[in-house]
Amino acid sequence: MTTGGSIEVGQIEALEREATDRLAQIADEAALEGWFREFLGRKDGKLSGLLRGMGALSPEERPRFGAAVNATKDRVTAAYEARKATVGGAALTARLAADAVDITQPGRPVPMGTLHPTTLVTRELSAIFALLGFQTIEGPEVEETRYNFDLLNIPTNHPARDKWDTFYVGSRGTDDTVNEIVLRTHTSPMQARTMQRQDPPVRVIVPGRCYRYEATDASHEAIFFQLEGLAVDKKITMSDLKGTLTEMTRQLFGSSTKVRFRCDFFPFVEPGVDFSATCAVCGGKGCRVCKGTGWLELGGAGMVHPNVLRNVGYDPAIYSGFAFGLGIERIVMIKYGIDDIRNFYANDLRFLEEFAGTRI
Amino acid sequence: MNVPLSWLRDFVDLTLAPGDLAARLTMAGVEVEAIREVGAEWEQVYVGYVEGVERHPNADRLNLVRVVAGERALTVVTGAPNIAEGQKVPLALVGARLWDGHSDEPKRITLKASTIRGVPSQGMVCSEKELGLSDEHEGIMVLPDDAPVGTPLRDYLGDTILELEITPNLVHDFSILGVAREVAALTAQPLHPPHVPDLPRSQAATGTDDPPLVAIDAPELCARCVGVAIAGVTVAESPEWLKGRLAAAGLRAINNIADVTNYVMLEWGQPLHAYDRDQLAGGRIVVRRSEPGERIESLDHVVRTLDERMLVIGDAERAVGIAGVMGGAQSEIGDGTTNVLLEAANFNQYAVRHAMQTLKLPSDAAVRFGRGLDPNLAWEAAARATALILDLCPGARVTGTADAYPAPTTERTVDLPYGEIARLLGVTYPVEQTVEVLGRLDLGATVIDGAAGEEPTLRVIVPTWRQDITQSADLVEEIIRVIGYDTLPTTLPEGRTVEPRRDPLRLFADETRDILAASGLHEIVCYSLTDEPSLDRLATDGRWVTWWERDRPRFDATRLVNTLRSDWQILRPTLMADALKTLSQNLKFRPTVRLFEVRPVYLPRQLGQLPVERLTLSIALAGERTGRSLYTTAGEVGASLDFFDLKGTVEALVARLGIDGVTYTPSDYAAFSPGRAAELRIAGDLIGVFGEAHPQVAANFGIAAARTMLAEFDAEALFSKVEKRMGTTGATRFQPTVQDFAVVVDEATAAGTVEEAILTAAKPLAQSARLFDLYRGEQVPTGKKSLAFEVTFSAPNRALAEREIEGLRRRIEGALQKRLKATLRA
Ligand SMILES: [Zn+2]
Repeated sequence: MTTGGSIEVGQIEALEREATDRLAQIADEAALEGWFREFLGRKDGKLSGLLRGMGALSPEERPRFGAAVNATKDRVTAAYEARKATVGGAALTARLAADAVDITQPGRPVPMGTLHPTTLVTRELSAIFALLGFQTIEGPEVEETRYNFDLLNIPTNHPARDKWDTFYVGSRGTDDTVNEIVLRTHTSPMQARTMQRQDPPVRVIVPGRCYRYEATDASHEAIFFQLEGLAVDKKITMSDLKGTLTEMTRQLFGSSTKVRFRCDFFPFVEPGVDFSATCAVCGGKGCRVCKGTGWLELGGAGMVHPNVLRNVGYDPAIYSGFAFGLGIERIVMIKYGIDDIRNFYANDLRFLEEFAGTRI
Repeated sequence: MNVPLSWLRDFVDLTLAPGDLAARLTMAGVEVEAIREVGAEWEQVYVGYVEGVERHPNADRLNLVRVVAGERALTVVTGAPNIAEGQKVPLALVGARLWDGHSDEPKRITLKASTIRGVPSQGMVCSEKELGLSDEHEGIMVLPDDAPVGTPLRDYLGDTILELEITPNLVHDFSILGVAREVAALTAQPLHPPHVPDLPRSQAATGTDDPPLVAIDAPELCARCVGVAIAGVTVAESPEWLKGRLAAAGLRAINNIADVTNYVMLEWGQPLHAYDRDQLAGGRIVVRRSEPGERIESLDHVVRTLDERMLVIGDAERAVGIAGVMGGAQSEIGDGTTNVLLEAANFNQYAVRHAMQTLKLPSDAAVRFGRGLDPNLAWEAAARATALILDLCPGARVTGTADAYPAPTTERTVDLPYGEIARLLGVTYPVEQTVEVLGRLDLGATVIDGAAGEEPTLRVIVPTWRQDITQSADLVEEIIRVIGYDTLPTTLPEGRTVEPRRDPLRLFADETRDILAASGLHEIVCYSLTDEPSLDRLATDGRWVTWWERDRPRFDATRLVNTLRSDWQILRPTLMADALKTLSQNLKFRPTVRLFEVRPVYLPRQLGQLPVERLTLSIALAGERTGRSLYTTAGEVGASLDFFDLKGTVEALVARLGIDGVTYTPSDYAAFSPGRAAELRIAGDLIGVFGEAHPQVAANFGIAAARTMLAEFDAEALFSKVEKRMGTTGATRFQPTVQDFAVVVDEATAAGTVEEAILTAAKPLAQSARLFDLYRGEQVPTGKKSLAFEVTFSAPNRALAEREIEGLRRRIEGALQKRLKATLRA
């Protein structure tokens, strides 16, 4: 009986050798499937066939033989799985190779929107001043002359008012002293409104639309955006004004930017200045943009006039403050090299799309 | 104001080059807008001497002139009527660059050799116009007798002119002397004012018992009036030096008397007026308010009607001048004038401004008075003018003076606590330096020591010409503008910071902009002014009304009183018109345009009240959905954007803003095509409207696109629906069940109604019902359509069993049947 048993064992070994040798030759999935059916098929596979032939063995030999066949089947199955992974990987590789595209073709178009340049720069300024502790607030564009002029130390009929050519709204009274309604000529009315509303300390910036009754040209719009700044507390100084504006221009134009003050007259500040920054285009050497001066004029500034502080109920002997105003379009024009302010409100997509790659 | 440096040098030594001087003045607040070199372009122009004049052999009105200039001696042909032997004249040689004397527009020419009526002309004798000095072209310019023959004209007549912009606070700089005082202070040089012999203070001209030469009848509007009677004047053309200075400053010469008054106005800043005294009834003047409706013919020969808020100069019978604005024609100095009454007054700035603005006469005098002059200037200016007149008219003499000055203006004292400098500037300067700087500005400062440990105070005497200095901050500005703003350090504010507050509406607006830009739309910003015809283009019946009240606001309270453009009449109450206008413009060169705007509209309230400024959102889309590309099929290319592109944009917006409870109901707003417009409602409230613009409305804006999408939303109403939510919104961790329902309904039944019926029937387990297919055809009866919905069911606490889903399906089926007579298709 032992003899018969060993013959059967030799048969198992031969079949295993045949199966593994053939398996090693297989390179494609179809052949692999045929091999699987031939050797491991549940119904007519050769390894299963061995078990079916077990009936010829003695009852004592059957368990040992069965165990040997199952062990062989496990080994062959493992070899099959390994081969299948290899063959499958190769097939996948071949399939992916056939699936290659010309990656230099354009992508499927996705509509790209843009934000208006004045939105971009207003946000940038708001973010810069937030870091300096300034709140961003807004105020009405249609204003009372009380806020636009009187409380700002620009009395009715005073020649200083001539500086602001004004759009009047509603029916205009004939009496010079009435509080008229106008389109605000600057964002400065929010100085008075803010200080009337709250006690110091005040640190706000006010972006917003302003209006001047004057003809437009490449550098002047009748309708434009301004940004007002106001800081009031004990011990606010003009050096703080210079420092704050210097930080702003460094953020906007680069870390080597400097700020220059020139004496100027605005009725709501004393001392009053206009301020310029080192030309962002030429770095101060002089170019077409700065008209050879090396400086770019950005706006007006100064220490809040004691009369304005009094008008809103602040004691100028205790509190001091600085204020400044600048044109938002002007900043955009400098930053992005635009030479005609009228581009902003023509809303020509060919212009607006220039800002598609712009972020703050 | 034009300041010739040659004139400025009379009063102060100029230690800086013109460019540096201009920079110094500008830094200190006296802005130099331009530096103009007079004569810089005079190449080949010399001072010539006229040796002889002969009649041109072939032309009656031309002369042949022999002119010498140094070694040069040449013959030129001229038609100038005033040419005469012995004159000194500007002689231009061939090659000189001149201004065309015959052209109305400024035009440069190069002088060429020429032959005029058979006689060669080797050069030209020049008029002032040809040299660019004035518009004078009647005759050649005759130079003073002492002009050095042969010298380049540039060396003799050339000048540098500073063009200054004088801000309203700097009326004391509105004169050559004022600027000289400023230059002296800024460059630490002494000022040399002109020597002015004082006037006699006498009433001789009218006799001691007679009324005085001048009187003030309206002292509230006239602080002072000085009169000088001068007899024996000879009216003539002014000498070249005087005409030259007026021309350099930009004024036209008239006659010696009028020129002197203008000269002194430019030099001192005090306007003066000279009357022909023989034309004045009574020989004297009174400053009074105008009678209502009083009429006067002014010097420009226009008859003007005055009102009682204007001041006039009257003689015994009538108005002879509009005070501070313009004299009257009646008493104008003429060739025959021999007796002059010179007036130097101080008129109230508001009265002069009122007259100047009402009469639209911004004369040089009115502009100066309008800024508020120092009354103490009048006497000295009158004395200076008198001295000049006596110089120019050797036979003239002063026969009397008068000075009506009821309440003389005196110097003011302003205290500057020394600590104010550091408190306002953040830096301080030595006391001695401060006192010295103020002294240079004629601000005499005395140091008053403070109590022990306290800062001293500077007591500053402010001269009457500095009306602008009234408080300590004004003195701080004077100090820093002279010392220089470049000495300020840069620091950041110290101390308390403010409460960090952000404006939620502003953040919402920015978020909306970001969402729409990410959806492929371009942000536009339009002018906020419009006109009613532009609005009316939004309506098919030619009459625009709002979509929220279906009424047209009364625009009285948002209408401009004055405007720059005919299409800027009112503040816009809607963004829609600008959206379509901008769409139209861009469609001219783009196949697809997608736009939005987030700006306020202005809704009028009562007259006299500020309008409501309401943040609003508009959207406009038109053109091809996709252009030609590798990835689009032939059928897709060129297909027009339609209502559902716009609705998708709106849905994405409200979804990304996290807004629930959105419903869409049909809109019949007249700007839209009927049947292709919707109202956006949130929790029942109307937020806005959107849809396809009515073809006629699109055509009104010149839009030729197949379909034009337009939307407007009340952004503040939208903002009010945004809920601040924390954490999850109840999404379940159990797998939802998705089932399809094909619902057959009448054509007229809206998809939204079916969706709503499904969700209501299977509340609260049905999460969404998404329409994914719409079928009409053989499979469904005529007049019906089949809508296929993908319905998602889920529960927060369990996976739904098949039994439950079956129950829901039956409930939905029953509800659809009952409410909509709908059937489910297998
Ligand atoms: Zn530059």
